[in-house]
Amino acid sequence: MLMPKKTRYRKQHRGRTKGMTKGGAELAFGDYGIQTLEPGWITAPQIEAARVAMTRHVRRGGKVWINVFPDKPVTQKPAETRMGSGKGNPERWVAVVRPGRVLFELSYPDATVAREAIDRAIQKLPVKARFLSRHQGI
Amino acid sequence: MPENVLPLEVGRRLGSGPSRRLRREGKVPATVYGLESDPVSVAVEYGALRGALSTEAGTNAVLHLQILGEDHLALVKEMQRHPLRRDVIHVDFLKVDPNVEVHVNVPIRLEGRAAAVEEMNGIVDQDVFELAVSAIPGSIPNNLTVDISSLTVGSSITVSDLTFPEGVECLEEASTTVVSGIITRSALMDAEAAQSADGEAPTGEEGDQGATQAG
Repeated sequence: MLMPKKTRYRKQHRGRTKGMTKGGAELAFGDYGIQTLEPGWITAPQIEAARVAMTRHVRRGGKVWINVFPDKPVTQKPAETRMGSGKGNPERWVAVVRPGRVLFELSYPDATVAREAIDRAIQKLPVKARFLSRHQGI
Repeated sequence: MPENVLPLEVGRRLGSGPSRRLRREGKVPATVYGLESDPVSVAVEYGALRGALSTEAGTNAVLHLQILGEDHLALVKEMQRHPLRRDVIHVDFLKVDPNVEVHVNVPIRLEGRAAAVEEMNGIVDQDVFELAVSAIPGSIPNNLTVDISSLTVGSSITVSDLTFPEGVECLEEASTTVVSGIITRSALMDAEAAQSADGEAPTGEEGDQGATQAG
């Protein structure tokens, strides 16, 4: 699972996810990609599930790039705990994404199979996303 | 009348609000600069811009900008797009001299089929999608064709292997890899599994048959 090796601070504020992505809205490595249409937090297991769904469908002969990294710790208080006594413990890592961000890229010779693989990966994500192709007319 | 004539409107108001209003009217805010002239803020019709850049030359098309009745030769230096809608939100035009070389990025087009790579379940990995070249505006190639039919797994085609049209000089380092034949980890694991199955199988005709099926 993706997570930082070491961080300066254990806990972070939640922050805001307003506006569009500042960069990373274009395909940089592969021929196809997944572009998010919504802002959100994508957890490390969700990224892994999407990657596995995509690689299992393309099997061998494909190459996958993950363009986002879950570097934000999310804390949670234990169940049935009274409020107070400070912030909860870090429970999971998330990647903060804004609309337009390309999350994954894929290289595969067959466009149909690549499309299917990306559709399967999108199913694993908590945000609305769309298929992006280098070959599509813009 | 030259091709790719693009009439521009001068005197647009600057700022995000007026620019948004322009876009609502179907126009794109733009800037024209180059040849040591002061930058001019202009507006261009989106349809006309799209038509001018939809030729085979793509975004490297040489344009004839019509500014206040004067004709200026120009190239698109930068084009900003909306991350989701993908429509053009701003364009930078660079005025060029027809006899002076300019630096542009030319897209790479792969040609042929890498049969040797496909046989080994490898993939053709394109590392670079466009190359920076120097050429006079009239001789900018539409694309650079790279023949991958001789590509094998483990080999690569670098910039030094490419042949450029006359008058076109590549600005990238000669050792830059353009495309390579690679074998993915999963394909490698499959091959290793097949090999180990080969080793474990009993020797003789039956074992050989089993290994062939597994492979």
